[in-house]
Amino acid sequence: MTVTTSSPDDISAEAMRALKIIESMPGFAWSADADGQFTYVSPSTLAYLGNGRDDLNTAEEDEFGWRRVVHPEDYERVAARWRHCLKTGDDYDAEHRLRRADGVYRWFRNSGRASFDSDGCITQWYGTTIDIDDQKKAEDGLRESEGRLQEIIDAVPVHIWSWTPTGEMAYVSKRNMEFLGITENEFGDFTKVVQELIHPDDAPEVHRHAADCIARGEVFVMRYRRRTKGGAYCWTEGRCEPVRDQHGNIVHWYGVSINIDDQMRAEEELRNSKRQLEQMIDALPVNVLSFSPDMVLTYTSKRYQKKIGPAISFPRNFEDVIRDVAHPEDFAVVCQRALDGFAAGTPFVNRFRRRERDGNYRWIEARAQPLRNAEGVILQWYIASVDIDEEMRAQEALRESERILRQLVETLPALIYCSAPDGKPIYRSRQLSDYLGFGLDGVDEEGRPRLDSTLDAIIHPDDLAAVQERYGHSLATGKPYAMKHRLRRYDGEYLWVETRAAPMRDADGGIVQWNGVCMDIDGEVRARHELQLAQERLSRASQAAGLAELSASIAHEVNQPLAAIVANSHACHRWLSAEPANIERAKITAERIIRDANAAADVVSRIRALFRQSSDTRTVLPFKDVILETRKLLADEALRRGVLIDIDIQEGLAPVAMDRVQIQQVLINLLRNGMEAMGSVAGEKALLVRGLADGGVVRVEVRDSGPDEELPAKIFEPFFTTKEQGMGMGLAICRSIVESHGGRLWAEKNVPNGATFIFTLPAGVKG
Amino acid sequence: MTTGNYIVFIVDDDARVREALGELLAAHGIKARVFASAGEYITAEKPDMPACLILDVELPDINGLDLQGQIAEGDHPPIVFLTGHGDIPSSVRAIKHGAVDFLTKPCDVDALLAAIGVAVARDKEGRLQRAELGVLKERYHGLTPREREVLPLVVSGLLNKQAAAELGISEVTLQIHRRNVMHKMAAASLADLVRIAGQLDIPVTHSRMQAGGDL
Repeated sequence: MTVTTSSPDDISAEAMRALKIIESMPGFAWSADADGQFTYVSPSTLAYLGNGRDDLNTAEEDEFGWRRVVHPEDYERVAARWRHCLKTGDDYDAEHRLRRADGVYRWFRNSGRASFDSDGCITQWYGTTIDIDDQKKAEDGLRESEGRLQEIIDAVPVHIWSWTPTGEMAYVSKRNMEFLGITENEFGDFTKVVQELIHPDDAPEVHRHAADCIARGEVFVMRYRRRTKGGAYCWTEGRCEPVRDQHGNIVHWYGVSINIDDQMRAEEELRNSKRQLEQMIDALPVNVLSFSPDMVLTYTSKRYQKKIGPAISFPRNFEDVIRDVAHPEDFAVVCQRALDGFAAGTPFVNRFRRRERDGNYRWIEARAQPLRNAEGVILQWYIASVDIDEEMRAQEALRESERILRQLVETLPALIYCSAPDGKPIYRSRQLSDYLGFGLDGVDEEGRPRLDSTLDAIIHPDDLAAVQERYGHSLATGKPYAMKHRLRRYDGEYLWVETRAAPMRDADGGIVQWNGVCMDIDGEVRARHELQLAQERLSRASQAAGLAELSASIAHEVNQPLAAIVANSHACHRWLSAEPANIERAKITAERIIRDANAAADVVSRIRALFRQSSDTRTVLPFKDVILETRKLLADEALRRGVLIDIDIQEGLAPVAMDRVQIQQVLINLLRNGMEAMGSVAGEKALLVRGLADGGVVRVEVRDSGPDEELPAKIFEPFFTTKEQGMGMGLAICRSIVESHGGRLWAEKNVPNGATFIFTLPAGVKG
Repeated sequence: MTTGNYIVFIVDDDARVREALGELLAAHGIKARVFASAGEYITAEKPDMPACLILDVELPDINGLDLQGQIAEGDHPPIVFLTGHGDIPSSVRAIKHGAVDFLTKPCDVDALLAAIGVAVARDKEGRLQRAELGVLKERYHGLTPREREVLPLVVSGLLNKQAAAELGISEVTLQIHRRNVMHKMAAASLADLVRIAGQLDIPVTHSRMQAGGDL
């Protein structure tokens, strides 16, 4: 179809009809030449635009003439497209705003198509321009509302997602993705999402439940832990509901994930703190019960249940509970006091015997305390009970022991009294009162201090001054008091008593009172003379016994030098009687006789000294010197016997008062014993002499490594040791010597073999 | 002052006593050697001459009585015990086991010298006997094995015929052996040979009557 812009008069009837059709259609029609110059613009268009066709074609500085009517924001885009189409012959299609004659812009869709000649050159463009303003505005509105929705979705503090009806992830909100640290590409396979993002402990259940819900079309609600971007897991509640079409078929699932981590943690903490509280209650050695304000049991601690018996069935009122557990004798009092307390709303305490699981009763102390709200209304009563059975029993035992003690004091065959720190009597046993003929209240007529009057009245006048002086001294210094004096009996007769008193002190050392006892020693004193005689007899007897025991040993010691003396005397006589007399030999033997006789005399004098028990010859000596000297004396013998003598003396060992010769004899004896004991031992023969402080005494040990033999029972009897030259006295004498020094001598078997002889001597200067 | 051809051994652990006894014996012209312990005495090399042992009971290494028991097996000089504290059981035991005397210190010197005299005499006698026995033993060792078999049969009083049958040899052969035995043992008669066999502790093993059962 060729449309020209010549006068309408030239248009054929057919063309006229076509034109009429075109011009009556809603919308605008146009045609243009290959250069884009409009060749036709429908009259309605021109009317709408309020422009002539030429205006549309009149170019302005290389711009299209229709620039005037196209919205400036759209022009460049539209013009570029139009130029492109003019050049290539592509179909033209553009949406843009056109200015109506009244200046209002409306959206149009402009479409054009080129027609070509046989050479392929563009001959003419034909196009339509359709008003799409309403449509366009509706689209914009939709887009805007969608944007707003998206904003809302992105803004609400929940994570939104959707599933397809088959359970594939269809959508995940931006917030959700940010939270999880994933991108849109990473979700899709639901199983994979679950595996990757749900806590491994929760994932199987989430997957199973979700699949189940999707299959059944039921609402999915679940709490689980999701992994967040940071890798931490966060408690989440996921909810998903299906949306159905009018036929009831599920078209989509929409879900939200709500962060409930804080809530879960708070709940967890609450549970923990409740459990802790319960554990604490159960751990405390108290039983806890609680009652509602109307006295119905609401709680019992585990300990209580364990202790008292099978779980108590709730609810039970207070009276039933108490009737069940309290001793029948205590029930009425306990119940009454509790009910009074409940009624008054004041705390109360009950002590009673409570039955336990095994049926036995134990004393307990139960304390009840109300819990009030801010308004002061009682919400709950709490009762805590503690076991005081041992306390109660101890108290009972104490009362009993007090009673026994009192009885003891009263029945003891002694006169007992107590006085205040200042000496005033505060207690006299019945026996003392009976003896004196009056109790504490009997004296003190003249207003004098009670002590003075008491002493005056009961102490023999000859002893009074001494008693007052000594007793006063003890009271002043706190030193124990002991005194023998005569005490006046109720019948006026004075009898000898020994009074002893000692202070009783409190924890701070302050004197609380003086406790004293008077013993009747009248018979004793009278018998003293006889006793002395008896003691003397006894002493002589024991001395005689000792002599008998030692005589054999002494004989042995003296016999050796005597034997030598006798033989030497004969020899001497013989030398002198010879013809000619051998004076030289006689002299030598005479000298030996003198020497041996002195040795014998020495033995005798030492033994006599032993029995004298005198400490005249004692001097304070360091032990080390004595031991070293002893070793020197025995050095040759030790060498001959192949014995090594080790000496180990503690540094700073206190010196000891001793008879040097005697103690040396003891040491020689013990060392020689040790050497002899090791005579049969193969290998190393070592003798260890140790000296050490042991409390207030110096302890000397002589340890040998002799054979593994039990020590003979009679080891301390004479002749256990063999004789040697010098002072090899029996162990019996050693023991006598040590004991005369105030020490002890004994023997111990060593492990594994050998024996140790140990003696002690009091350290220090005392003889 | 006699200078006897004998020696006295003194064992005592007390040096003073050893010294004094040595001096006493020296004054009497008696040779003496002293020892401080039994061990010293046993291990010492002693001259081969008549001797006497003066032994203390209490010694550091061994009791004198036990030493007596130990040396009883061999030839040893007679013992005179000297003790610081003699008790009856010890002295009985000592004498029973052949001690010459058991003296208590300090002892009577005459008693000691007398005991030494007895002991030395006893030792001389013993030595003489031991010497004679030694000669006989030497002669006995000179016999051939067959002759040693013949000797007990002859001294048992078997007839030549019986002895020959016992050994499964001819009577003539036996007679030759018998003559050789008599000669080698220097026996003047059969009675002499019987005495010598007794000294040598050769037992009488056969009786003529028992052996005669074969007749």
